Amino acid sequence: MNKKFRDSLINLGETLAMLVLALLVGALMVKISGNDPLEAYSAMLTGAFGKNPLKSQMKIYELLVKVIPLMMVAFAMSIAFKAQLWNIGAGGQFVMGSIASTAVALYVPVPIPFRIALSLAAAIAAGAFWGWLAGWLKVRFNANEVITTLMLSYIANCILLWLINGPMQDPYSDLTQSDVIPEAMFLPRLIGNYRLHSGIFILVFVAVVMCFFWKTPLGYQIELVGQGRKVATYSGANVDRTIQTAMLISGGLAGLAGWIEMFGILHRLFPDIASNYGDISNIIALLGGLNPYGIIASSFFFAVLINGGSSMNRMTNVPYSIVDVIQGLIIIFVIAKVILHRKNSSAAVKKSK
Amino acid sequence: MDNYAVEMLGITKIFNGVKANDAIDFRLRPGSIHGLLGENGAGKTTLMNILYGLYRQEEGIIKINGKQENIDSPTKAISLGIGMVHQHFMLARPLTVVENVMLGHKSRRGILLDTKETAEELKDLSDHYHMGIDPYTKIYQLSVGEQQRVEILTAIYMGAEILILDEPTAVLTPQETEEFFHTLREMRKDGKSIVLITHKLEEIAALVDEVTVLRDGKMIGTRRAEGITKEELTRMMVGRDVMFNFPPLAEMNLGVKLSIRDLTAVNDRGVPSLNGFSLDIHGGEIVGLAGVDGNGQNELCEVLTGLRKETGGSIFLDGEDVSGKTPRFYIDKKVSYIPEDRHTTGLAMNWNLKKNMILKAIGSKRFMKGGLMNEKLITQNWDTARDEYQIKAIDGDEKARALSGGNQQKLILARELNADPDVLIANQPTRGLDIGASEYVRQKLIESRNGGAAVLVVSADLEEIMQVSDRIAVIYGGRLMGILPRGADVYEIGSLMMGKRQEELAHE
Repeated sequence: MNKKFRDSLINLGETLAMLVLALLVGALMVKISGNDPLEAYSAMLTGAFGKNPLKSQMKIYELLVKVIPLMMVAFAMSIAFKAQLWNIGAGGQFVMGSIASTAVALYVPVPIPFRIALSLAAAIAAGAFWGWLAGWLKVRFNANEVITTLMLSYIANCILLWLINGPMQDPYSDLTQSDVIPEAMFLPRLIGNYRLHSGIFILVFVAVVMCFFWKTPLGYQIELVGQGRKVATYSGANVDRTIQTAMLISGGLAGLAGWIEMFGILHRLFPDIASNYGDISNIIALLGGLNPYGIIASSFFFAVLINGGSSMNRMTNVPYSIVDVIQGLIIIFVIAKVILHRKNSSAAVKKSK
Repeated sequence: MDNYAVEMLGITKIFNGVKANDAIDFRLRPGSIHGLLGENGAGKTTLMNILYGLYRQEEGIIKINGKQENIDSPTKAISLGIGMVHQHFMLARPLTVVENVMLGHKSRRGILLDTKETAEELKDLSDHYHMGIDPYTKIYQLSVGEQQRVEILTAIYMGAEILILDEPTAVLTPQETEEFFHTLREMRKDGKSIVLITHKLEEIAALVDEVTVLRDGKMIGTRRAEGITKEELTRMMVGRDVMFNFPPLAEMNLGVKLSIRDLTAVNDRGVPSLNGFSLDIHGGEIVGLAGVDGNGQNELCEVLTGLRKETGGSIFLDGEDVSGKTPRFYIDKKVSYIPEDRHTTGLAMNWNLKKNMILKAIGSKRFMKGGLMNEKLITQNWDTARDEYQIKAIDGDEKARALSGGNQQKLILARELNADPDVLIANQPTRGLDIGASEYVRQKLIESRNGGAAVLVVSADLEEIMQVSDRIAVIYGGRLMGILPRGADVYEIGSLMMGKRQEELAHE
């Protein structure tokens, strides 16, 4: 137990060191661009937390608002990733969930409470179906899920564009967007007029479930499939079914994230509703080591980076793209860490021989 | 004194403290086909990889055509006219034959590709050796036999006068093998020197001029192939002092537990590799299955554990027809399996030892509490196993890949035997283990038998078969060649392994 604790401390230390390195190299970039790195980073921090964190509630609530979709989608991805299924198309599953739930909210004439439940189910089902498609393609045709999830993501976005330019276009304007969903269906705001909404409870619920998920037999099974098809089959797992299940759950969670965002913040469909959640959550999941606690921590880190980054963009001459640079650097360091570990462990094996 | 195309003198190569090659002398005459014979792990491929510049020898010198050379890379080897065709082909599958040949080659047309010229030259070469290769076909459209011909063609096109072939017939059907031998004879006629790595004795008789036998990294000798008998070769290949240290014979007979009838199956390449195999195994006995590697043993083990679907025949467990069931079914029926490949099949290398102990028990009530897998129960299970099977490990939280091969095998053994099997299939259970660990594993197999299990031990190691088996079955070409009692003559087993049927032997 002691050793386990020490190992996770070392792991945490390494991750932090990586982040510091990424921020340092980022600082160098800021310097090269002719700005003051200290000024940039302090603008980022005040942008995320306000000048006096105790007084600027709004900033904190905005952070939480940002954390909700990021963490949800990162959880979604982590489930597929554990099975070594690189579902990088969670953004598309998010979009499908948003479309399905908005359609239900706008067009299904049942009482509001039923309609909310129905839209929730539709979001999860649509996301799950979109994820499962990639899983099925892999099992049936051995199609690489990196490609299929990415392509399905494009398709989802095209469907969205078609719908809001055609059948679902806002009848009251010429804009490329849908009608607003009935106000009675909005997720209630928690504090005054701040945007923080009750979707956060769903996130908390999902986070708690995720902390136990990897201890369930299904969690074990999904992780085992990630260890290799041969050993999983040998152990009696139905690999094909597990792949499809993992993609189903992964897509379903992404769809749920779409529902929360739609009913909590956006309230209507427009182009690019998934923003770049798919890409950033990908990094969050990997930075968190696919571990639920790690994902929770790195979601907050990225929320700070994004919210702070846009303030920095407004308040200084440093462009927002520096945030993208830092993201890119983090990916590089995550990969470097994995490679380093692999080298170390193979060196250890050699030594023990 | 003859001139040699290749002279390797006193070659020693050490991997992790083990001598894979121990002061080996190897001489290849120009214009001859030279067989390099030995069991798996005897050091044949290592020796040839040294000649091809893939490994550096610790000691010894290499002379090519009488001149001492320092071969430090395959590029150097190729420039000296040495070509090698590996067991696993190294072709880019989406490209055409001619494109593969041109990869890494300087074009004669500067920055433009000389595809057309190369293709024509290849066509001529192919026609000369009756290979029938169209340079513009894509690799993935070719059969395995054709791909092999492409590899050989490439080597010759790049100017190979000395050609090394690593177990070339392992992937070929008998008809393809016949054509292939014909091609090799033509090449010999053209003055090329060929090294044929093999463990198949028939190939020596059919093709080879001279044969060098390796065993356990040492050279046993070089002979002219003419007139040498298979018995003599078997003795050179296997002939260690066979230990006649038998455990007491099985005392009980619990009736037929596992019955295999006319089983047929194909291997991963779709080639039939079990061709009507039948065998009965009783409870409380060990049947040793002897045979040269690649005669259907792996496919048999996989069919018997649900990992591979049979194409015909049936399997009966306690009289119940269980053909075509899933791996889960066999696990639940208490059929335990020690697979040949620890690294990709037997263990999840990146999982810790505790979890590896319960690979097959995910979702089992024994390790669950409140709907979740319980760490405490899993740890207890590991602690017990570690003590009972003397697995050397720190605390069970380390990954399986951190263990030595012997301890990995003990972990698998612990998991499979703790399931209290009715049937135990052990495929090469001691391959790659040191003597101590091997003895331990065999002891455990015997204990399992004494507990009433029906045990099938598949091994390429005849000594092991002789040591543990109550009965010895021999497989060749996916068929049962015969069943011998324990203590049978090792050369009789060897003859069956070479494909002579028991009935034929009786008539000699």
